[in-house]
Amino acid sequence: MAGGARSLVAPGAVGPDRNRRHPGAEEGCVTRPAPAPIKVRELSRRQLALAMNAPSVLLMLVVLVFPLFYALYLSFSRVRIGELRRGFPFPFYGFENYVRLFQDELFLHSLQNTFVFALIVVVVEVVLGLAIALLINQQGLWLSRVTRVLILLPYAIPPIANGLIWIYIYNFKLGFLNRSLFQLGFIEQYIDWTGIPETALYSLTVPYIWRTLPFAILLFHAALQGLPKDVYEAARVDGAGAWRCFWHITLPLMRPIIAVVVILRTSFAFLVFDEVLALTQGGPGDATWVASWFSYKKSFAPPFNIGLGAASAYVLALVIGLLAVFYVKVLYRRAQ
Amino acid sequence: MNGPGRLQRQLLNIANLLVIAMILFPVAAVVQGSLMTEKVLHSDIHAVIPPEVTMENFLLVLTQGEHREETQTSITSTYMPDNLRAFYRAFGNSLVIALSVTLITLTLGALSAYTIVRLRLRWTLWLLQLNLVARFVPIIVLMIPLFVVGRSTGMLNSLTGVILAEAGFLLPYSILILAPYFQSLPSELEDAARVDGCTRFGAFVRIILPLSAPGLTACGVIMFIVSWHELLIPLVLNSDLDYMTLPMVLSSLVGDTNILFNVMMALALLSLLPTVVLVLLLQRYVVHGLAAGAVKG
Repeated sequence: MAGGARSLVAPGAVGPDRNRRHPGAEEGCVTRPAPAPIKVRELSRRQLALAMNAPSVLLMLVVLVFPLFYALYLSFSRVRIGELRRGFPFPFYGFENYVRLFQDELFLHSLQNTFVFALIVVVVEVVLGLAIALLINQQGLWLSRVTRVLILLPYAIPPIANGLIWIYIYNFKLGFLNRSLFQLGFIEQYIDWTGIPETALYSLTVPYIWRTLPFAILLFHAALQGLPKDVYEAARVDGAGAWRCFWHITLPLMRPIIAVVVILRTSFAFLVFDEVLALTQGGPGDATWVASWFSYKKSFAPPFNIGLGAASAYVLALVIGLLAVFYVKVLYRRAQ
Repeated sequence: MNGPGRLQRQLLNIANLLVIAMILFPVAAVVQGSLMTEKVLHSDIHAVIPPEVTMENFLLVLTQGEHREETQTSITSTYMPDNLRAFYRAFGNSLVIALSVTLITLTLGALSAYTIVRLRLRWTLWLLQLNLVARFVPIIVLMIPLFVVGRSTGMLNSLTGVILAEAGFLLPYSILILAPYFQSLPSELEDAARVDGCTRFGAFVRIILPLSAPGLTACGVIMFIVSWHELLIPLVLNSDLDYMTLPMVLSSLVGDTNILFNVMMALALLSLLPTVVLVLLLQRYVVHGLAAGAVKG
């Protein structure tokens, strides 16, 4: 663990950094009484770190750490509306919640939907994100500058507002999409985009991708700007075209940032909630039940099966936790 | 790099137009929808550009339903969901929550980020790793226990509860955004201040913080935006009309079969304006902040 912690900083940063400061300023305080007259009584590094982190640690203990453990406790307890009324402590339920969860067709279906949803989102966002990042990276194109200004706009839209907008866009009888496609001559009959079980999940990916694509574009664009220019010049001298430059230079150099985008986008796509709530509420039938929606519905709709909801949320957290560990251990430091 | 050739230029321009169309399509939908009269919405179902536009929908939302009595005569347009009558209350609540969350996360985040990049103790580095992992914790896992605890302690239906929950949830992210900014400042600046008799904390307040103004701005904007957008946290903790946030009002329109699209779009447009204006004005900061929060350590 300690080795892992240190690897986050540049190698050797801890040692030299300490020496660069006034020798004796911090070590001296610990080993012998302060020799020189000190104007203001100064806290040691350790004390200062404790003092400065106390408020953050306190808040995180209350809002992050404690609920995580409490959710674990709930997932091993029998908690429904009756137990909820009676209050703490809740009757122990063993692994029953988890057993029921994995026998629940709807939960397995929700998990499957979540994976399909995340897979589509990530593949589309990486491909489209890279393409658009390359596009706005073009110098001397007037329109590319316009695109660059607009690119962040979807990030500013509240997810639930985005959901409502797409309710109107997708609406069967009155919707904006059917109107536009009709006017452009693409369709003659209006299509029920979110009402058909076969297409509902795919219809759901579009608004989500629209809203979250800026993040991917932005990271790719930032990475593109940091690529070494001389490599491209050397390649051009050797007669390499644009496509070969992309395939043999850009893509390999971008691999770390692509990995970061894949991990971040996958874990956040696993949590899609607002657009589901707005557009389909899991329907039609159970075609768009996803993991967060399952946990939310089980916990906060009758019969308020909090125990089962907590167990399902924990399964989701563990899946994402695996991605998080990979991100922290392997990617975060390397991709700069 | 050489500029693209003529044909290539044309293709790139077409690609740009496609991307711009893609970005603006939903924006066009919300603007068009909010400007339509009820008559056009229902009678002219093929119209993309409405033959007549109106400000009535905005007036209806902004007067919290009062305006309708004087001007709109049709029977269906008299419908007004209760939550729309709390528009200003919800707007105010959202603003109070977003500003408080921004202030708390900036203050606590700056204090912690500084100790992580400058004091470099073993446990502050653990704290950084913990923050990275904490960013991945699904909100729903936290909300179920917070609801149970809030219910038994009577903490549900308050702004304070939502503010604390959102601030705690966002704090790791703020630390991740701020840490690289602090790290990019040369430590010689601090050393010089300390030679002049500043304490380490004094150097942080007087030297580091003012120099990190761009980083603090970037972090602050992102915190405000994420908090303004947050739905699940207030949705689970609050249900009382007095403590509704704007996203909650929006979500309450879902499944309401009586609400008209034009009113719904007007409300959506009004609720997305604050963050859109913020992003367009402070684009540079948002871009830097988002990049800093995802990579670099």
